[in-house]
Amino acid sequence: MIARVLDVLAPRVSGADLVVKTDDTLTVAISSDGDSRVTSSRSRSSHLRVAREGRVGYASTEGDDAGELIGHALAAASAGGEIELFLPAPAPLPEVASRSPQAAVADVATLDGLARALLERLQRSDRRIEVWGERAAGSVQVANTRGVLAAYEVTLAGVGAVVESIGAGSAPPCRVHSAASALPALPDIERLVSEVERRLLPPLLDSCPPLPPAMPVCLAPRAVATFLRPLRAALAGYEAWLGSSPLRGKLGERLFDEKLTLVDDPLAPGRPGSRPIDDDGVIARRLALIERGRLLAFLADLEVGARAQVPSTGHSWRHPAAAPRVGFTNLCLSPGIEGRATLLTMMGRGLLLEDLQWNGGPNPLAGSFTCRAPWAYLVEGGMVRGRLDGVVLTGNVFAALAQLGAIGNDSTWVGALCVPTLLVEGLGVTLR
Amino acid sequence: MKAPLLDAISQSRAGYSEIRLRRVWSTTVLVRDRMVEVAGAGVETGGLARCCSPDTGWGAVGFSGTARLDVQLRRAHELALAAASRQPVSLAPIPIRQLELAHPLPDDPREVGLPEKRQRAESLAAELYAADRRVSGVRVLFRDEVIETWLATSEGTWIHELRPAVSVALLVVAEEAGNVERSLGSLSARGGWSALAGIEALPPRVVEGAVEQLHARPVRPGRYPVVLDPGAAGALLHRAVSHIARPALPGADADVLPMGTRVGPPCLTVGDDPCAEGLRASAVCDDEGTLARRSVIIQNGVVLGHLHNRETAAASGQAPTGHARAGTLRGAPHPRATNTYLAPGEGSLDDLLKGIRSGVYLSDVLSCEGAGDDFAVRAARARMIRDGRLAEPVKGVQIGGELLALLGRVDAVAADFVWDSAAARCRDGAAGVVPVTTGAPHLRLVDVGVGQGSA
Repeated sequence: MIARVLDVLAPRVSGADLVVKTDDTLTVAISSDGDSRVTSSRSRSSHLRVAREGRVGYASTEGDDAGELIGHALAAASAGGEIELFLPAPAPLPEVASRSPQAAVADVATLDGLARALLERLQRSDRRIEVWGERAAGSVQVANTRGVLAAYEVTLAGVGAVVESIGAGSAPPCRVHSAASALPALPDIERLVSEVERRLLPPLLDSCPPLPPAMPVCLAPRAVATFLRPLRAALAGYEAWLGSSPLRGKLGERLFDEKLTLVDDPLAPGRPGSRPIDDDGVIARRLALIERGRLLAFLADLEVGARAQVPSTGHSWRHPAAAPRVGFTNLCLSPGIEGRATLLTMMGRGLLLEDLQWNGGPNPLAGSFTCRAPWAYLVEGGMVRGRLDGVVLTGNVFAALAQLGAIGNDSTWVGALCVPTLLVEGLGVTLR
Repeated sequence: MKAPLLDAISQSRAGYSEIRLRRVWSTTVLVRDRMVEVAGAGVETGGLARCCSPDTGWGAVGFSGTARLDVQLRRAHELALAAASRQPVSLAPIPIRQLELAHPLPDDPREVGLPEKRQRAESLAAELYAADRRVSGVRVLFRDEVIETWLATSEGTWIHELRPAVSVALLVVAEEAGNVERSLGSLSARGGWSALAGIEALPPRVVEGAVEQLHARPVRPGRYPVVLDPGAAGALLHRAVSHIARPALPGADADVLPMGTRVGPPCLTVGDDPCAEGLRASAVCDDEGTLARRSVIIQNGVVLGHLHNRETAAASGQAPTGHARAGTLRGAPHPRATNTYLAPGEGSLDDLLKGIRSGVYLSDVLSCEGAGDDFAVRAARARMIRDGRLAEPVKGVQIGGELLALLGRVDAVAADFVWDSAAARCRDGAAGVVPVTTGAPHLRLVDVGVGQGSA
């Protein structure tokens, strides 16, 4: 289909590119009463962009009708945005591991075994547990009228659980999961089990001495992944280059604590965002966004790059029936040197937050937040004393990242983010 | 499509077989600031084949395209046999219907060209800029879609339906003296573009929201009587009631409102009505072919019913309510809310405000998020109530807390019921995202913690 579409379009447009993606996902879910359900989903989607008479239009389909796809794309271009688009030329693809042969062929029995292994490790009489095992195997083909024709294969496999303690004073249900190209191994399962135990085992503190209005806080990796949302929004695409990001126009400035280094790495082996080429046909490369507190780069795709007069950084993502978007691949926050226990000791009296219930407010780019922390634990003298109910956290993400207490050495993958524990000084804390 | 679907169903050897096939035509125009950023068109075709074997349960296969439906169903049967169910799975019986609902559309959005949609979107963007000098950025998203659905089951159900829907979403950024505020607003309707009645009122309302926030002061945290406008009341009741008025979904709340329990005062009656006319989430039948019907969830403060699909209805000895909804093209149908309503009470907004010396009036809900039975409602716009009248705007308003405790603080419901035509969507665990509508009158709660998220 790719060659047919581009051959038809080449004489009629100034440029065109096409992304064809396939996906074959198999999921085994085991409910709290032990019943299992098996679901399979197979899809094939094509996403076409054409540039014609200075305008750009998009069309997508999940069928095989090339004529319909071309017709829709040309019609969209007649109403599309005015932009001078330069498509990339062919270039060698970098090596990146994005597929595991074992994960690609994992069957129901394999996934069921993984899910049940997690279930057995988590099971207690006072818990309600749902677990699942999943694998997705797919392919991506990217081509354009300048001769790019690239293809790669991907797999994504994982296990996950929603665990709820039953009884008075129990913590809210916690959801944990792992995802990577390869099937999860025993250490991956043990990591999830440890996290669940850390979150559910500390008892609820019936009474807590009054908390000061601001306290040091240790954010565990899953909480960090949530906490970074405003920063991610401020670093990406149109908002960063031309919109209302607070970081706009500040490239080269030292805006953050010098302990903070942030890299987007599509070449990290075997991770959810690993890929050799983006959906615009631009070769993927590692991109340092913040280095020792200094802001170095924003993400761009071809269109944002054309509007902002900057090169694409290879961060285009396209999905069927949705507008193309600029997005991260594998975002990695560089670890520090202290272990988690040292961070808790350094904190003195403070809170350990395992996860956050994010509520970004009307202007998420501004970084201000007020959010609940249902998985908050009081730490004194380096020891977790118990869970606190009703903790509400307030502050500003950018201000907090400008003055970090310390960064842990426990880098952990949470989806496509690799983040360690952060010690943040002086976040607003209230107990309801 | 009828012949290949029925042919595939007839070949299946499973106890129960079902194919839902969907084709979705959509167009999108996005104007950001003064530039067209996206003009696009899409056609998605795909669906779900699923089989149920009484002893082992469900197997389901999602697919793209329309080819080899018999193969998809055979694979679903294989997966059903590989599943394991301790209790036999049964489906509550429903009357078998053959419905042809794919009537020609009098106002088909596919007949309107993208250039015309672009022009309308650009006009709206210009209108937003012209409304106030402090507007520094806008985003206008036009989207329309026509969904054609075919549903066939081994019990003989056959449904063919065509549903158009349109929506407009606006975002306005206002700036003054270094202060930046945003406001969002949207409208959606079932039908073509002429169905978007009242769109003229949307741009000034969104601009006013952003500009008003520029000078709003943070609310002083404390306990107040709180009055919610119909949009906010509907959003609160959807989140508080609908999400736990049905059996647990995978990865979502495991709690269920216990039947017969008193959760609020006699003025609190909440239900879900998929038959309400002209709303985006309304439907004749649900995604299992059950005729949709209005269901009362809370009657005069007492839990009276749940929302069901066929499986959950059978498991709880109830009749299916027609609320089986698939959250994605290839997703399985789960019990989900459609048009959640709070039944009207008595009196007007003025009656609810009367007697409040100091309180908070909350409108334009930004989000309702929850974890377990703890949840928070964040307001996009709010005003203080002083001596029985609406007073100065405030920001940072959030209410929330333990779900049942909050419902227990309801003390009055006005009579001014309206359906909210915002393009609201409900995300619920692994069950995906479905469009929803809410309808409510003004609602008053007493002694609610405001600001910093407390109840």
